[in-house]
Amino acid sequence: MLILTRKLGETIRIADEIKVTFLEIKGKQVRIGIDAPKHIAIHREEVYQMIQKQNILAAEYDSLGDKKLSHIWNRLIKEKEKI
Amino acid sequence: MRLSTTRFGNIDIDESRTILMKAGILGFEHLKRYVFLLQDKEILFWWFQSVDDGSVAFVVINPFVIKPDYKPIIQHNNVELLEVESPEDVFLMSIVTIRSDPFKVTANLKAPIVINSKKRLAKQLILDKSDYPIQYSIMDNKVILGEEFYKKEEIIASALAI
Repeated sequence: MLILTRKLGETIRIADEIKVTFLEIKGKQVRIGIDAPKHIAIHREEVYQMIQKQNILAAEYDSLGDKKLSHIWNRLIKEKEKI
Repeated sequence: MRLSTTRFGNIDIDESRTILMKAGILGFEHLKRYVFLLQDKEILFWWFQSVDDGSVAFVVINPFVIKPDYKPIIQHNNVELLEVESPEDVFLMSIVTIRSDPFKVTANLKAPIVINSKKRLAKQLILDKSDYPIQYSIMDNKVILGEEFYKKEEIIASALAI
């Protein structure tokens, strides 16, 4: 990992298109500003990881075919009717 | 174009109906092209089938069916990225996770797929500023499915499905 020291208000540039500016420090929190082209997705790492994990879990729904999906749907409808 | 899939065997798809996922689905970034498959009008679960890998498909649902007051905010950069010209062209789908034992069906409201049906462009957003859950239980949250839902679904299907 590359480690740099920067002062508040200073910026680092990643490749040609991404700028990260250090805006504020409050205790253990750091506020940063990121300028990047719109096709670059920027996410908090922990949220990114959770979404990725959930997507992989969703795609694992493998052995269930069309029939089962209708079965599941009917079951949900029934659950709803009970309410 | 003929597509060989694990779940549905060989299916014929009209290439103009494929959806290009900008940045892919997280965890499946290498897969860019998908199609929406609708198997039964009465079932509001659809499939989001990868065109690039026939073994990858997601169950999806229109999030407004399960959460009528759903109000995700789509940031301007994504509106631009998806080349949205009119809000009418924009549809949302949530990825559904199904677990059989114990039986659990959840929809990801935190990271919906946003689709520009006109340009056939889509992206999985992460709604950073909202508290929408990644695992929203479809079973535990009551929904009343009126006729209007089915009518709306037909409109969405004609815009999105193959």
